[in-house]
Amino acid sequence: MKLKKEFEDFYKCIRIDSETQNLIDKREILEDEIKNKFPNIMEKHDIELNKSDIRMIDQGSYKYNTTIKSKVVDRDVAVMIPLDISKNSDPRKIKKYLKEAINIPVRSVSIKEPCVRAAYYEKEVEWLHIDLPLYAKDNGTIYLARGKENSDKYSWEEADPDGLNDDLCEKINGNNQLRRIICYIKKWKNEVYSNSNRDHEVPPSIGLTYLACDCFFKQTSEEGDDDLLALQKTMNAIKNKFFCINNIEGEITSADISRELPVPPYTDIFKKMRDSSSSYMITFYKRLSIAVNNLTNAINVESEHDAAEYVQKVLGTEFVVPEKEAVVATTQNKKEHSFG
Amino acid sequence: MDNKITIRELLETYDSIIVNQVYTEDIVMFKLFEKDFLIIGPLKKDLSSKAQIYLYNDEGTDYPHVVLKDIDINKESMLPIGKYRGICLYEHESVIQSLFSYEEKIIDIIDRLIKLLSMTKTEQEREFQREFLYYWNSATDLQNIDIYLKQDIKFTKLEKYCRKKTTRYVESNIELTDINNCDTRGNRIWQRHIETEAFFIPIIDKREILPPYRNHSWTIENIKEIIYGKQINHISADTYFQLKNKIVSTQNIIIVFAMRELKTKVCFAVMVKCKNGKKRTLFDKIYKDGIDIVLFNVERKDYLYLNEIIGNDSIFYNKKVLLVGGGSLGSYVAPELVENGASNIVIYDEDKLEDENKMRWRFGGWSVGLNKAEILGFFLERFHPQVHVECHKNNLDEASLELELQNVDLIIFTIGNSDEQLKFNRLLNKLNCKIPVFFVWLEAGGMYSHILVVNYKKQGCFECLYTNKDGKLVNNRATLNTEIQTENNILRNGCGGTRAAYGTSILLRTVSVLLNTIQKIFLGNIKENILIDISSEMVSYPDDIIPMKGCNCCGNRK
Ligand SMILES: [Zn+2]
Ligand SMILES: [Zn+2]
Repeated sequence: MKLKKEFEDFYKCIRIDSETQNLIDKREILEDEIKNKFPNIMEKHDIELNKSDIRMIDQGSYKYNTTIKSKVVDRDVAVMIPLDISKNSDPRKIKKYLKEAINIPVRSVSIKEPCVRAAYYEKEVEWLHIDLPLYAKDNGTIYLARGKENSDKYSWEEADPDGLNDDLCEKINGNNQLRRIICYIKKWKNEVYSNSNRDHEVPPSIGLTYLACDCFFKQTSEEGDDDLLALQKTMNAIKNKFFCINNIEGEITSADISRELPVPPYTDIFKKMRDSSSSYMITFYKRLSIAVNNLTNAINVESEHDAAEYVQKVLGTEFVVPEKEAVVATTQNKKEHSFG
Repeated sequence: MDNKITIRELLETYDSIIVNQVYTEDIVMFKLFEKDFLIIGPLKKDLSSKAQIYLYNDEGTDYPHVVLKDIDINKESMLPIGKYRGICLYEHESVIQSLFSYEEKIIDIIDRLIKLLSMTKTEQEREFQREFLYYWNSATDLQNIDIYLKQDIKFTKLEKYCRKKTTRYVESNIELTDINNCDTRGNRIWQRHIETEAFFIPIIDKREILPPYRNHSWTIENIKEIIYGKQINHISADTYFQLKNKIVSTQNIIIVFAMRELKTKVCFAVMVKCKNGKKRTLFDKIYKDGIDIVLFNVERKDYLYLNEIIGNDSIFYNKKVLLVGGGSLGSYVAPELVENGASNIVIYDEDKLEDENKMRWRFGGWSVGLNKAEILGFFLERFHPQVHVECHKNNLDEASLELELQNVDLIIFTIGNSDEQLKFNRLLNKLNCKIPVFFVWLEAGGMYSHILVVNYKKQGCFECLYTNKDGKLVNNRATLNTEIQTENNILRNGCGGTRAAYGTSILLRTVSVLLNTIQKIFLGNIKENILIDISSEMVSYPDDIIPMKGCNCCGNRK
């Protein structure tokens, strides 16, 4: 099997398989502060909130166990409170109260469109942010607080964070090759989008995760799992899900892909990306096509060395290229060891 | 050798290389990836000589394998004035240079240099970690400490002992046989020190832990990242909670780290200097009060490590062995047990060593007249302070055997006396012995020796050898010498005593088969009781001698 050990080493190299103690401590302190201070601030604004009614929901890659190493650690923990949203129709206000509850100098707190973000810095460099989506539970229905602090676009959007967690955990848990493929695809995304910082330019992780689940091809043989083949087949299947239009010269003039959330609000995960700029989707498609080509070449070339060079173009330099077989053969014949 | 192609010509075949200056045919300065290098060709007369490459006037480069020290050339010579740093492109003795031609040597070293300079960050991290100790030890001021661990996977407290310039850190539950030794005046050699507490912390994830190297020396921040990583848990949750619970009240703390998953285990240590000697948790002492560190060079001296480093099977480690008989054969078996991982030995023998046996007794040199069990104990314990030997200056009897059976993991008989062995065999059978028993004996003449492995839950025992098909007792049926051969090989000393003639080669090969057999037993590769015949020609496993159905000892067993 080609590049089995290289993929194993690569996975070990990029993988974060547990939350660090450091992160746990920061998260727990933050959670305690929310529970202790948020009700008081709400009370000042005549909104009743009991400490015991605040629920924290673990979310994101740490929850599905698909975290990879990154420049900034990204942790998602949702805050759910009971709230009458007809009386409190402006979610921006509630998000501001949440921000107020946790705004102390050790972290810098800001309001993002879908969440409140607590960012941590060391030597003026951000190394961690904990994103806190805020959910209101009203009459058995759950709503996500959307809207930036001063934006006139805001809403309480129906949501089902537990349902989403259950759906993804059920798909991924117990399927280690799928978990690895998701991590590889996320790593690929980090590589090809490393210079992107415009809103919605980058395909969202949750979208890639769902596409990977939908298109996953398990590849295994007597020698074990063949991650190279599985990755190539899965990414190729994602590529084939795109709807593309070419002009007469054969250039792509439009590309589109969608994936609906399996839970309320059942919206398309890629909607924002599509609505922001038509070029974003074309770029996404083109970059994916390049990756598929490189992986296909990796499968087709004979030598491990050449194959790994193609894979490295997709997954980055953490994927180590083994020496050329010819080199290994000549020096290996002339190697020796001392027996002390 | 035909040397028509010069270094210059070889270098010019590379697109990325520009030749700056040719000093002699064998010494050339060239530019590669914006850096200047000096290559010195291998000596043409010496086949084993290799080419060498130096980085010229470059302080900033901190690739792995670029040696840390400069060679200064400040006088006018053939070479330009400046600083030269050697680049270590070959592991010691890893390539047989003599098999390469002059030309191949040049091409090989240039290829290696290009590979080194094209390394990705991940490859560099691997190389730095592979050579971790080289960098670590270069960064310490040769301050050595010796470490004795019983295990290297769990957090543990260490005790500090000093003797002149030697310092030992010993895992709390290890007993070292020499730690209470006194000098001739009766003073303790090793002093226990309590002014610095010491701990062992295993690193379970070594990613991003690079050794100190040029422009990257270690500070307290490196230690903080190890115990409280941001993105990576370098230590286990268990270790973390131990750090959070352990209370420390000394101002300085020694921390010994171990990294695994490398070809060899890597150990290194730091002294964390705290701002005061206040009582706090170990975690807080390091994370909150730690202000500075001092690097120490660590040598692991423990028995576990010394076994592992030579590839001994861990299966033998921590096993306690009862060795019955410290004669010639026993004296060769005992040290091999110790050298193969068994550090707990119990020996029974009442004999004293005589001159006539000293040529085939393992430590015969100056031990004549002393008890054999005691001499063995003395030498084995000097082998390593974690070796413990219980010496009994008497022969094993039935009562002692019954007692020992409670404490040991295997029994080896090297006594050769049939009556005694038949007696013990019966007793072991009666006591339902649950541990493997090895009967090892030599025939006279130095030709044949035998090993009988008995698991008393199975058919076949020592008495089977002395039982015929009719259930009658006969002489040892495993014997391969003829009657005449045996008689010829007995030397009589004139007063009724006898001595069989044999030298050490039979002892060595018997011990060697015994070691392999013990290993097979513990690995579960031997399922039935077996007899082994050993000669200088071959090792064979006759299957027609045991078990014997009519054996009065094991014959009735299921
Ligand atoms: Zn080196
Ligand atoms: Zn028997």
